[in-house]
Amino acid sequence: MKSFFTFIFIFWTTSMPGATAPQYSVTNIPAPPTKYKNFQIDGLTFLPNGKLVVCLPSGEIFFRDLKTESWELFAEGLHNPLGVIALSNSELIVTQRPELTRVRDTDGDGKADDFAVITDHFGMSGNYHEFNFTPVRDKQGNYFFALGTGSRGDGVRTITRGTFNERGRPGRMHSSAPYRGCIMKLTTEGKTIPWSYGHRTPNGLGFDLNGNLFVTDNQGDWVGSSKLFHVQKDHFYGHAASLAWKEGFEGTPVDTPVEKLAKMRSRACVVFPHGTMANSPTKVLAITPRAKMGPFTGQLLVGEMNRPRIMRVMLEKVGGELQGACVPFFDGSPLGRGCNRMDWAPDGSLFVGQTKHTWAGGEGIQQISWNGKTPFEIQNMELQEKGFKFTFTKPVNREIGAKKETWPFSRYFYEYREAYGSPRSDETKVEISAIHISKDAKTIEVELAELKAWHIHEVTVQNLTSSSGDKLSNNYIVYTLNRLLKNTPPEPLQIKVASKDSKGKKS
Amino acid sequence: MNPHLSFFLFLLLSGVCSSLSAESRDEILRKGKELYNGAGSCVACHMADGKGQKGNIPPLAGSDWLKEGSDRSIAISLRGLAGPIQVNGKKYYAAMPPQLLFDDEKLAYILSYVNNAWGNQEDLVSKEEVAKARRELSQDVFTPQTLLKKFPFDKKYSKKNGTFTPTFDDTLTEITRPVIYRTFMPGASPAAFAVALPGNHYFCWDAGECRLRYVWTKGGFIKSNQAHWSSNGKPVAEFNGTPYYRARTTLLEDESFDELSKTNMQKPIYDTSQADDFPIRLKGLKETPSFLGYQLVEGYPKFRYSLGEHTITELIGMNDKKTGIVRTFTISPPTEAVLQLTPSAFASINCDQGKSKPDGKLLLSAKDSSHFSVLITPVEETN
Ligand code: HEC
Repeated sequence: MKSFFTFIFIFWTTSMPGATAPQYSVTNIPAPPTKYKNFQIDGLTFLPNGKLVVCLPSGEIFFRDLKTESWELFAEGLHNPLGVIALSNSELIVTQRPELTRVRDTDGDGKADDFAVITDHFGMSGNYHEFNFTPVRDKQGNYFFALGTGSRGDGVRTITRGTFNERGRPGRMHSSAPYRGCIMKLTTEGKTIPWSYGHRTPNGLGFDLNGNLFVTDNQGDWVGSSKLFHVQKDHFYGHAASLAWKEGFEGTPVDTPVEKLAKMRSRACVVFPHGTMANSPTKVLAITPRAKMGPFTGQLLVGEMNRPRIMRVMLEKVGGELQGACVPFFDGSPLGRGCNRMDWAPDGSLFVGQTKHTWAGGEGIQQISWNGKTPFEIQNMELQEKGFKFTFTKPVNREIGAKKETWPFSRYFYEYREAYGSPRSDETKVEISAIHISKDAKTIEVELAELKAWHIHEVTVQNLTSSSGDKLSNNYIVYTLNRLLKNTPPEPLQIKVASKDSKGKKS
Repeated sequence: MNPHLSFFLFLLLSGVCSSLSAESRDEILRKGKELYNGAGSCVACHMADGKGQKGNIPPLAGSDWLKEGSDRSIAISLRGLAGPIQVNGKKYYAAMPPQLLFDDEKLAYILSYVNNAWGNQEDLVSKEEVAKARRELSQDVFTPQTLLKKFPFDKKYSKKNGTFTPTFDDTLTEITRPVIYRTFMPGASPAAFAVALPGNHYFCWDAGECRLRYVWTKGGFIKSNQAHWSSNGKPVAEFNGTPYYRARTTLLEDESFDELSKTNMQKPIYDTSQADDFPIRLKGLKETPSFLGYQLVEGYPKFRYSLGEHTITELIGMNDKKTGIVRTFTISPPTEAVLQLTPSAFASINCDQGKSKPDGKLLLSAKDSSHFSVLITPVEETN
């Protein structure tokens, strides 16, 4: 019976009607005139003067004047630039494989002529998977960037940069060169320090409007399903390899008992269920007051590589830590796959750059614009003592909202383990005990028979329409319930000890 | 079809057939098709028509890789495949991750479907076969080499299928302006530059150790530019020529560039923190240099690095006759210095300041050090 149930489940998720609300439109932006016929976009932002900036795998950086619709080549020759910040109309900060680099046009001819290292105080084993992701800058002027781990798909080069550390070498994804798998901080005094540990493929840092720093990670070894973390100093987020660089940590990270690692790790504030929500999340971008995207200011957008989707994340502080829900927001064609980098255009529309680098994804640039009319969406999902409160952007059809069948909740967790990914464990349907709809029909409180801390709670809202009959554009929403409002039980380990033969190869 | 209706139909049908012990072929293929097209399944890459995605994802429709039994395709599905492969004569560079959403039975349905969809005519796959493979295969993601060693092609198919070493046409022929790429180069740390200069001289400069590594002119600039830039970034650049100048270091012997292109080492020959033979010695200083960046001077790279309190710049261009490269250095503040060069039968080295020694040392006074140049030309070119 159990396998029958999961069989249905897979089928069910394929018929989920998620889609971009009709109030949003997607426009393709013509590709930049790269010499190399490869239009993957690995960095995207805007200059103060409103020009679009994109970085390509070829190492080229182009500007686009949105008024004259023309491209100009600003710089070339960078090594896999994977993120860019514009400090002025002639000065960019770029993360490329070997460095965080200041790229400047000093003579005003519109082309970069000076490439200054702002930090290269981190290692490179030369493994292709050691990406250097997204620089972000806080209000004080500190920079953060994210170092990917090396992949077991390959080894290390014959000459590596930085002190080689054999303790970080074993395992599927490794960290034999300094600080791979860490989020790095470059302080205003010019010091480069590992800021947090335990990241696998942290492809996308971003701040919320309160200055909290977030980063995504991709499903794999030690990562049961893809995640969003609230990055805090010296925290460890689960992927073992980078512990080789943590002061005071002894031994080989992957040989450390899982119990010990599980007790050290900090939980994700949002888990993106693999296969249904996201397989490879990317950039985190706050919806600023300047953004013209509807009533979602303060929430976060997170891109996804494997399917045409950009998600919306809503967080709240519970028991002192951030946690919350994610929901697809822009979903399905004409949005392309591989949404990797995004930023707000001067007119408040969203520009998205797509990439793939041999994985699932796409290539190109798209612009998403809002027509100013309210879409019918779940605006917010918040924890309550006995369940969740859903706030909608428009009044709902009370009759449908009040039916228990509208709310087929289930809950589960992902195991913490060295093996690749994790099945959904302990997956259970959750009964609805009561439903309350507010007077204005914009909020619905759904009480569950049981709320289980440290479990993911998800629902695909069935057939709900607004009071005027609009279909709910995105009805699959997932809340990562770590802490309860009251009486949170102690954090369970939720580990699985890998059997001998499925452990990382050691030699 | 209305999703709710199909959902209902599906419930009905799968309820009925799960009570039968032996399923009909049609049932199996129908279930397989459903699963193949589900969220997160093969369809995401190989597409509903099984044709894959041009130049990126190989087709399953008509693929020879499905032939000669299903062990190979079961293995690919369970453990993934990473590395260049040729499918029915076309080349693919992408990687396929292990498919973890499916238990033995479901994967058997899917592969049965794949084996018999879009004109394919192969066997049905049983869940026992999948279970056995899942139990017995090593956990590693397959490379084309490890996969084909275990599941080789019969002669009939081996010509159009298998693995290959990517080689690409040189995208640059006559160099008319300097071209600078930061990329992986053999015989350098991963923080390397490949530079082409007008007159078609090329060099590798290593930011990891702030030093010129080698210079060549025949055989063209680096190959596989496209492969590097459209792939996951793994390929180490290749070139055909033999350097006419190659800096000797204490930590490398005479390893060939092939050897130094390896990416699959368990540990490196050395790491840059061990490199203690920086070619420029400043009086009284033992430190190693830090790379500061580079400036483009009429397109030519002017590297800069610091050594103690001193800043060194190194502009690399061509001589007027375009027969060799000129390295122009400045050291500020100036100080007594020694530059270690590598004498060789294939290059002549001429310095405009200081005293050259037979072992390649160039001795510079503080005054010399503020601005000096070294011309390196291949010997055959100058005679
Ligand atoms: C994320 C994208 C992706 C998914 C999902 C995927 N594949 Fe693949 N598949 C690939 C790529 C890329 C290759 C080529 C790998 C290489 O070049 O090394 C490949 C190769 C193959 C091959 C061998 C080459 C050929 O064309 O016959 C088979 C067989 C195969 N896949 C079957 C499957 C099956 C069955 C599934 C679902 C259970 C699946 N794949 C899911 C990307 C994918």
